Amino acid sequence: MNPLLEQFLSETRESLQGIGEKLMQLENEPESAELMTELFRFVHTLKGNSGLFDFPELTRVLHAGEDLMDAVRDGKAAYCLPMADLLLDAMDYVGMLCDEIENDGVYAAAHAGDSVRLAETLRRMIGAPADAPGAAGAVSPSAADPGPSAEVRSLLSGIPERIRMDAYRAQTSGGLHCLVYSPVQDCFFQGDDPFFQARRTPGIVWGGIAAREAWPELAEMDAYNCVLDFHVLSEAPAEELKEYYRYVFEQLQMTTISPRCLILPQGDPNGGPVYEDFVGDALGLLRGGDIDALRRAARSMLELSSRELWFSSALRWLLLATEVEPENGVVLEAIITSLRTLAAPEWHVLAAAAGPQSPAATGVCAAKECAVQEGAVQESAAKESAAKESAVGEAGLLREETGAAIRAIVDVQREILSLPDEVAWIAGRVKAAAASLEGCLRSSGSLDALPGLRLAAESSVALLSAAPLLAWVEEYAEEMAAAPPSSPNAAPNAASNAAPNAASEAAPNATPATCQAEAPAAREPSAEAKPSPAAAAAPQPESEVKFGRRVEDVYAAAKSIKVDQVKIDRLMNLIGEMVVAKNALPYLAGRAESVFGVPEFSREIKAQYAVINRIAEEMQDSIMQVRMMPVSFVFQRFPRLVRDTSNKLGKEVNLVLEGEETEADKNIIESLGDPLVHIVRNSLDHGIESPEARIAAGKPAAGTLVIRASQEAGRVVIEIRDDGKGIDPAVIKRKAYEKGLIDEDRLERITDPEAVNLVFASGFSTAEAVSDLSGRGVGMDVVKTAIEKVNGTVHLESEKGKGTRIRISLPLSMAVTNVMIVESNRQIFGVPMDAVVETVRVPRAAIKTIKKSMATVLRGRIVPLKALNTLLGLAAQQRANEEDELAVLVVNVGDQQLGILVDDFHETVDIILKPMTGVLAGLAAYAGSALLGDGSVLMVLNVKEVL
Amino acid sequence: MKRVLIVDDAATVRMYYRLILEEAGYLVVEAVNGVEAMEKSLRESFDLYIVDINMPKQDGYGFLRELRGRDELRQAPALMVSTEAADHDRKRAYAAGANLYLVKPVKPQELLVNCRLLLGEVRP
Repeated sequence: MNPLLEQFLSETRESLQGIGEKLMQLENEPESAELMTELFRFVHTLKGNSGLFDFPELTRVLHAGEDLMDAVRDGKAAYCLPMADLLLDAMDYVGMLCDEIENDGVYAAAHAGDSVRLAETLRRMIGAPADAPGAAGAVSPSAADPGPSAEVRSLLSGIPERIRMDAYRAQTSGGLHCLVYSPVQDCFFQGDDPFFQARRTPGIVWGGIAAREAWPELAEMDAYNCVLDFHVLSEAPAEELKEYYRYVFEQLQMTTISPRCLILPQGDPNGGPVYEDFVGDALGLLRGGDIDALRRAARSMLELSSRELWFSSALRWLLLATEVEPENGVVLEAIITSLRTLAAPEWHVLAAAAGPQSPAATGVCAAKECAVQEGAVQESAAKESAAKESAVGEAGLLREETGAAIRAIVDVQREILSLPDEVAWIAGRVKAAAASLEGCLRSSGSLDALPGLRLAAESSVALLSAAPLLAWVEEYAEEMAAAPPSSPNAAPNAASNAAPNAASEAAPNATPATCQAEAPAAREPSAEAKPSPAAAAAPQPESEVKFGRRVEDVYAAAKSIKVDQVKIDRLMNLIGEMVVAKNALPYLAGRAESVFGVPEFSREIKAQYAVINRIAEEMQDSIMQVRMMPVSFVFQRFPRLVRDTSNKLGKEVNLVLEGEETEADKNIIESLGDPLVHIVRNSLDHGIESPEARIAAGKPAAGTLVIRASQEAGRVVIEIRDDGKGIDPAVIKRKAYEKGLIDEDRLERITDPEAVNLVFASGFSTAEAVSDLSGRGVGMDVVKTAIEKVNGTVHLESEKGKGTRIRISLPLSMAVTNVMIVESNRQIFGVPMDAVVETVRVPRAAIKTIKKSMATVLRGRIVPLKALNTLLGLAAQQRANEEDELAVLVVNVGDQQLGILVDDFHETVDIILKPMTGVLAGLAAYAGSALLGDGSVLMVLNVKEVL
Repeated sequence: MKRVLIVDDAATVRMYYRLILEEAGYLVVEAVNGVEAMEKSLRESFDLYIVDINMPKQDGYGFLRELRGRDELRQAPALMVSTEAADHDRKRAYAAGANLYLVKPVKPQELLVNCRLLLGEVRP
């Protein structure tokens, strides 16, 4: 993907984000003009950007959005909820296209139809009267499709018969295209020229203009509003037409018709001979295959009838049809039958019947042509390559074009200088105009005119009046008109002619090649060598001096870089290894002293270790910092989610987001997204009551949902709090018991706070629970699993009738795990500190065996015990210390506390946990392995699985 | 090397101009709004300005007016670029201090020709 496109996509994403946010804010303060302006700017910027690429669908939707925002800003349309919905939809659509562009470089052609519909709906909003709230809501997508055939038919019948006959005779293979171009009312101000546009339609067969609605009173008519529709019949291919009308495509209705649709007999239906016999005869002749006889019969019939009759018109068509497609019986028969009914044949009904004989006989294509659009999407790179082409140099510039451009610039300067002088910045204006003119003079090679220009500019600045310079421009413009400086040879000649007067000036021009290659170099000598007295007056550019600093400035502009995550991960792994490797130094120091007996050396190693340790830690911190992201990354989707969901449910919810700037590791933040959405949905669905219920309960009608992030002791804590109806612990208890999640015993003893946390138990929530428990807790086990996966915990508190609070606690980073090392059977194992509650020594006597399992009483609570050796299938008995006490590691497993018997406790260490790979990945008992400072491998237990 | 200041709040547009102009051998400096553009203009000098209209903080009109009001500065030509094609927008740009007005999207060729002309660099 080229960098410009990449930039475009990333900026578009940011803008879409911004638009979403502004729309949300606007809902709270719909009158805020400032928000509206910002919103407008976002859409405006997006549209401007999309114009740089060849994405007409994007531009079309954004253009419509921009016009709508503009109308709202100017008070022409009122901001309302359906409008916000529509804008959000439009932005979603833009986002979707961007995703496709990012993935595939292009987007599917099928989106073109959607873009037209979206743009139309957006534009219709502009027309919605400001004081009719229902009006905007009444816009239905189906209304965007005004049944083309009737409209098209009436359009076709407006075309003179002769033209229709010619077009029919031509039998264009791709079918004909019927265009209805309805320019927007203020199109003249957008630089459109609809009449010109319509007239130059490729392949035009016929064109007509019609008033869109009845003409207004003359007094009320605004000549600057376009109220006309342009009708065009064209035989150009659809692609070409689409390309031609691409910038106003949403104002265009294009229908592909078969040439046969032009067979529309017209005229007076009354009078004339009785035709019943003729119809019978003609059908007989047709079925007999005698086309010549049919033609003769028709011709003699035509002679008998008056020209103005409908019947005559039908006969003329019949004659033409026998000439153009004599073999197509279906068509001929249809025309003949129509003589009886005096109604034009229904070609689209006949299309199926005529199909086998003529594949082109498709009649009026009901599907609008715009839905086809295949191949219309082109590589956006085209524009960029154009940029490169043109940048090749003067070779690419057409001389005539340059001449015209110079004249244009000079004209503009003349216009600028003709403006009233009474502005504070008149001197600047004059100088800038003079500088522009000087550029033109240099470009055209008319250096001899420079002194005059400078003199005029100088007196203009001195007088604070544009008049002297204006006089010069007018004189110069006349000269230029007389002898266009654009002509290839005139300018150098002029310069050479001036040579006797200003030889040094002409010198650089004598070698045009050098001038072109090194423009600034060529410019310097000519300026310095200038003998004219005006030299002092000309403000000499002071720019060339300060190069060094500026180049730096240019680079300083790049404030952030995008890095592939893989690179950061690699860095993270390396620093992890480094942290481990540096841990070898203390061992080394110890050996230096104990084994080799050089304590000085040991001290030196330790001193060096301290330094390396500090650097390594800082490095680790910095790399972690790189991976840190604010939680706002996840939070930003909630305003929209809450808004959409609560609107749908008919609830009023105030969302309060706090602590969005809190940072955590990218992986943590990303893993937070889905669980949070789940919780918020639940809260809206089942926590917060409807406004009526809330008022009945004595609460404010609008519920409040608070999502708060904060950092507490090295962890990120996310709290989701609502003031809804809370959870009834009694219901939860009963349900949990019914589902067999708790036994009778537990049912008796379980406290209310414990009970509400049962919603996280797997198997608790089923679809059935939705109705019983108002669905609170549906899929909460999924939430819990997702959070535990990143070493987080989740806890729920609820007070019936008051509300619910869910607290999620997550580590700041997943990179480093703090583990406690325990020993068993002379092997060491790691246990994550997150799980460890305490370490105790329990006398052997205090361990009782209840129902074949061990347990002990700790601070009045029974704690079940398991021996690690047994759990791991090691034969040895757990060892006790001298006082015959066993080491018990108390761990948290779910909501329960359990004791693990081990041989001994060791220190806690920070390790980089590597998950088990290969065949070892199947060992669920281990969370992974880590390297220790002495190079040995530590197996880290997955406590939950082991037990 | 000629120095061009691009003033536009859209990063994509700035990049687009930058690609075109750098390819043509200009030194490009960017500013995201009128305020930043003014700061940069006071600090260093430019040979050409390319200015957008609708920008936060200070728009293109405001910037050009202020720029043209600074007598101590060398007044380089300014190209104003906007999506509005109406005549009154054009007039407003000229009154504010623009020397040329182009309608977006500007084709690379169009931009380059006009930049070169204003900088006095096209020679027959």
